[in-house]
Amino acid sequence: MELGAALAMLRTLLVAVLLSLPAAVSAGPQTVVLVVGADSHVRDLDPIAIRKLFLGLPVFVQGALLHPLRNRSDPQLDPIFFQQIVAMSQEAYDRQILIGVNRQGWLRPQEVTDRKRLLELLYSDPDAVSFVWLRDVAHDARIRVIRVLWDE
Amino acid sequence: MRVSRLVMILSLLASPLAQAERLQGEFLLFSSAEAAGTFDRTAPVTSIQDEVLKADMLFSLQRGPLKLFGEYLVTDHEADLERFQLGWQMSENTLVWLGRFHQPGSVWNHEHHHGQYLQTSITRPAIEEWEDLGGVLPQHFSGVLVESSRPLLSTWRLRTALGTGVAPVITPRGLEPYDLVHPNPPHGELGFQARAALYSSEFSESGAGLLLAYNDLNAVGWPANATPNIDRVDMTLYGLFGTYVDVNWKIAASVYYAQANLHTATPGVDHSFVVGYVQVERRLRHELTAFARLEDSSGAAESRYLKLIPTFARARYVTGLRWDFAHYQALTLQATDNLALNGHFKDIRIQWSSALL
Repeated sequence: MELGAALAMLRTLLVAVLLSLPAAVSAGPQTVVLVVGADSHVRDLDPIAIRKLFLGLPVFVQGALLHPLRNRSDPQLDPIFFQQIVAMSQEAYDRQILIGVNRQGWLRPQEVTDRKRLLELLYSDPDAVSFVWLRDVAHDARIRVIRVLWDE
Repeated sequence: MRVSRLVMILSLLASPLAQAERLQGEFLLFSSAEAAGTFDRTAPVTSIQDEVLKADMLFSLQRGPLKLFGEYLVTDHEADLERFQLGWQMSENTLVWLGRFHQPGSVWNHEHHHGQYLQTSITRPAIEEWEDLGGVLPQHFSGVLVESSRPLLSTWRLRTALGTGVAPVITPRGLEPYDLVHPNPPHGELGFQARAALYSSEFSESGAGLLLAYNDLNAVGWPANATPNIDRVDMTLYGLFGTYVDVNWKIAASVYYAQANLHTATPGVDHSFVVGYVQVERRLRHELTAFARLEDSSGAAESRYLKLIPTFARARYVTGLRWDFAHYQALTLQATDNLALNGHFKDIRIQWSSALL
């Protein structure tokens, strides 16, 4: 196994352990995680699938089309979104969205500017996928972290 | 207003979309305004319109794997339902469409469609032109289109498209595709198109591919004493294309070989013709992009088919400069030296284009 993959697995394991501890544990460092609702059938998504999803391309898991939710509740998440999730500049991303809509009617990921609203959507939609600060969901039993996307 | 049965059938099939708890939608508007002037002109007629205002409206509705997608173009000269497609996302890799679509055998139109803002140059290559603007290849079909993208050799992607549908007819005014909103029987026979292209990754625009198309074009509306007295045209098309894209450069090249046979009362020899183009774009500072395009052909002047559309440009030299500014807006200046079948002229154009999402 490559070192990078091993470190990523260790980081995910550490997050899982932290989340399983009682509520008295404080939120970890600045960490952005990929999340789904606790009832979701999504267990993991590789970086390519995550990138496709947030570019508006169709991504299926167990026969269901996933619904990406772009978290715009915190401006600090925007550069992390462009660098870590879609791996392109904002200008290139905007152009890809235009091209996708024009060619095949792709849909832009739904943008949610309110954190509570985002969590409500994740609770209610088993196909919804989004990204949040770990500290915002560390003790939320209705949210499941499936991957660490970035940490400081 | 008569509306074709196909529009009604597609709308009924799309009704499950209306029952959705989670119906998602998207709307995109491409706007443009263009002015053109010609000079040094020996051609008696050109296909150029002096001023054009355009609003190209796209909508997409989706529930689960079902999608309804449409494109309605309004200009100061026309209004057309350009695309109207009911789609089924069979899997991540495969999308099946039923409806009116742009034929996948056109390299340029498969990438840009009518999205003026998305293409760097103001005009498209002559071989890729739309039917109602003097185009010589069928571009709009009503039928079935299957698009697929599959992994190949680890990171590479093979993108394919197969289409079949009602082909345009050829009239004294040029090619006329089947109109969903104003259906006008009698109309065309079936046409078939296929495209396969290899790209270096899922997200890469650099790649190369092959095209194949066969179209049977009925002749409609020709006077009995017309010369030639055409019954129909059958056309076979082969194409090769390649695109290279990086941060500062884009190079796109295509070549088509066409054999168009006229079925007429007057015997004649039908010559094949070859048309190709290469466009180079260089991104400069201050949001400027310089571009140049060379179009050329072989056998075009001898083709009985191309002589039916004498405004076709058998060679062109295009240069221009585009400035992107504000949010999704661009100003473009372009100069062209045209050698059409019916003569020569130069033109200069200026265009404002934008996208609103």
